[in-house]
Amino acid sequence: MIRASGHRDPVVAVTALVLWLLLALFVVYPLGMLFARMVVDQGGFTTAAIAKILTDRNQIRAFWNSLLLATLVGALGTAVGFLFAFTAARGRLPRWLLAMVDASVLLPLVSPPFTTAIAIIFSFGPRGLITYELLGMKGVTVYGLTSTFVSEALTYFPIAYLTLRPILAAIDSNIEGMAFSLGASRWRVFRTVTLPLATPGLANAFLLLFAASLADFATPLILAGNQFPVLPTQAYLQITGLFDLRGGAVLSFVLLVPALVVFVLQRYWVSRRFYVTITGKGAGETPFNSISPATRNVLLMVCATVALVIVYFYALLLYASLVMALGANHTFTLQHYRVIFTEGAKAIRDTLIVAAFAMPLGGLYGVLLGYLVTKKAFIGRRSMELVSMVNYALPGTIVGIAYLIAFNDPPIELTGTALIIIACYVFRYGPTGIRATVALLQQIDKSLEEASQGMGAGSATTFRRVTLPLILPAFFAGLGVVFIRSMTAISATIFLVSISWTLITVKILDNITELALGPAAAFSVLVVVIVFVVIAAIGRLLRLFRAPGNVPMASLLGG
Amino acid sequence: MTAESIGVDVEGVSKRYAHRVKGEVYAARDVVLHVKPGEFLTLLGPSGCGKTTTLRMIAGYEMPDAGRIRFGGQDVTHEPANRRNIGFVFQNYALFPHLSIFENVAYGLRVRGIDEAEIGRRVGEVLVLVGLSGYEQQFSSQLSGGEQQRVALARAIVIRPRVLLFDEPLSNLDAKLRVQMRHEIRELQRTLGITTVYVTHDQEEAMAVSDRIAVMSAGSVVQEGTAEDLYHRPASQFVAQFVGRVNLVPGRITSIAGDVAKVAALGSTVDALVLTAGLSPGAAVRLVVRPESMAIAPVASGSGALAATVTSRTFLGEKIEYLLRCADETLQVVRYDSGPGDIMAEGSIVAVRFAEGAVTVLPETVAAAKSE
Repeated sequence: MIRASGHRDPVVAVTALVLWLLLALFVVYPLGMLFARMVVDQGGFTTAAIAKILTDRNQIRAFWNSLLLATLVGALGTAVGFLFAFTAARGRLPRWLLAMVDASVLLPLVSPPFTTAIAIIFSFGPRGLITYELLGMKGVTVYGLTSTFVSEALTYFPIAYLTLRPILAAIDSNIEGMAFSLGASRWRVFRTVTLPLATPGLANAFLLLFAASLADFATPLILAGNQFPVLPTQAYLQITGLFDLRGGAVLSFVLLVPALVVFVLQRYWVSRRFYVTITGKGAGETPFNSISPATRNVLLMVCATVALVIVYFYALLLYASLVMALGANHTFTLQHYRVIFTEGAKAIRDTLIVAAFAMPLGGLYGVLLGYLVTKKAFIGRRSMELVSMVNYALPGTIVGIAYLIAFNDPPIELTGTALIIIACYVFRYGPTGIRATVALLQQIDKSLEEASQGMGAGSATTFRRVTLPLILPAFFAGLGVVFIRSMTAISATIFLVSISWTLITVKILDNITELALGPAAAFSVLVVVIVFVVIAAIGRLLRLFRAPGNVPMASLLGG
Repeated sequence: MTAESIGVDVEGVSKRYAHRVKGEVYAARDVVLHVKPGEFLTLLGPSGCGKTTTLRMIAGYEMPDAGRIRFGGQDVTHEPANRRNIGFVFQNYALFPHLSIFENVAYGLRVRGIDEAEIGRRVGEVLVLVGLSGYEQQFSSQLSGGEQQRVALARAIVIRPRVLLFDEPLSNLDAKLRVQMRHEIRELQRTLGITTVYVTHDQEEAMAVSDRIAVMSAGSVVQEGTAEDLYHRPASQFVAQFVGRVNLVPGRITSIAGDVAKVAALGSTVDALVLTAGLSPGAAVRLVVRPESMAIAPVASGSGALAATVTSRTFLGEKIEYLLRCADETLQVVRYDSGPGDIMAEGSIVAVRFAEGAVTVLPETVAAAKSE
């Protein structure tokens, strides 16, 4: 039990007030403005804009396309993720092989959102390495549903893997051994014991992937083409192509409906259906062999194939960044890197500056709000936690358009500044730090603080020497996620960049649109390298402080 | 490193809290305890009896709603835990996971601003005392349960506390280690002479470590005394049942002569010691008979014994446990095994004889729970 204290503490009151003001300004106000823009025109209430969009056949198609794409991505991604998770949890893999699996899964997690998409164009495009060079096909078109959904499934299946692996690992293999001893075949055990126990996890993974795909902006923008419009790209085109802010607002709101349904299902329905399989003593040294050696080999082969495809994609990206023009001229060159470090230097510098500011602010925001809502009593504590999660849960397109509408005009004019991008990142990705802080604080037993007190330490000393070091991992997790997302995000911030402040991800998108695929590849490689360096540095810091835990990778995904 | 021992006085302390269904509930009610300097007192009772609440009020983690707490005569009732100079050992040890064993033990010394050389010396000393020297740079996650327990102990005593407090410190250890650790705790306390209050629900553990035991029930102390007092002279059926195993046989007093009453029970008349005042002939009572204070023999072996039927027997190696049926009552009997052939068969008729002076009598109470 966490005892809430400090009821009339002025420091708590002031901090809570400041946080409420910030949440009102950067979460509630933009969404309110977004809604107002939809229904208020020239001072009067109107549903004309909504009616116009909802009767547009193209937009209705986009809505159904979005749902179809999300369903397919959810299904394939969950299947692949389950395969990886099951192999990792039951395959009795040697340590190094497990590390390899984890590494290949990590790659898509830390990359800019369209790296897989670019690699698919490189491989299967009109001048693709496989379609044109290898198979000699001419005039193939890679754009459409198939490539989009395969690309998204490959990008997002790590979410399913990271969700399912602990669940499968927590199912005591003795339970499977028990069913086996009752005379069931291995396949029957899998079908009647393992799979039912993992079902809530599968549902959860599916919903997470569904939401990720629904919100994904970058992949369909590059791969879906004109024939397969989806909501996030339609909203973007409505605003950037037709300068119709109102239409864009309506489209993003249409996107909100399924996103909200999925969020509610995931939070309140699936999360209550997890089974607990506590069976006294653990499996011990001789766990039951849930899968036969033959099955194990098949599983390993399939996983290896998927992992190879991922590695191939990234190798291709690296290769494309080092040759003149992939598919046409394979002469080695550093030209693309020269381009990104000259013409692209501003984007790199801007991104790093934005990330450098967003990172500490986001980390601090997460720990502060997390500590406040768990340990202190003040009015509106629960609702503060809820409101703080809103920007995190919404598709980036909605948040981006809301910020664009809210901060374009007085009283608060932020468009064109770095502040608007930084604020977007802090309030969109800082919640990872909040969740990590809350989770950590709930694990820290009251007796630790009491032990410190019993040995003569006052509350300030106890906070500094016991509580703070113990929530440090949450701070680093917040830092890591905000930094990585600052390097890779695009769906919200594409609406917020300007001539004064631009981002690498937006630059990559420009490059792709201009068919300058070499620089796009070079940028992507650069981002992957920077992100890996930062993750390694944070891991080292965590070890330095002997803090248990790690950067929560599952929260890194999505545009 | 022995400090001067002080006494702890708990004077009519109460603690209330609001219960969602029952309204206001007393976690501790008018608790009175006097712990002598250097004494080892154990608070024994079932869960929810208020023993931990009382301990936490002595520590200063909870503030009493009424009553006083004195350390060596000095009123500390309103002092927070960090000003009381106590050593507290938690049930879950509460070792700081982010600090090494050395730093865990040094924590209280650093808080007191003691210089580095002295800290090194004292931590080293106390780690030797608990048998953990060489573990300085380890972390708690690398230690076994017993080792963590020793670190917690070292951390509590290194600051030379005025009072040492234990909250069920052994309940997370396995049975064998529990027995070993309770001896170590007892030895250490004797060596250091620190006044100690210890909380447990395990009566055997309480008897093994304590100078004196206070049995608590429903927020109050119901009986205080040495282990022998409590075992042989329980003042209530609750204490008789909680401390050791017992047969509580219903009966009625027929006559009293001095402190011996004749009690009609088990279809016969049994002599029993009267320990409580206010019993008179005709009163409904319970005979208090420990399972080991009955002898049983094949039925032909003499008069003056009760006849009973063996309904079950459990062979446990060193001893044998019997359940007997005697005049519609069930009796538990424990006999130490004196060799093969000493075992009564199930279904056989046996003669039961009570050991001299081993049967006492308690008034029948309405609340007398189960009679096993």
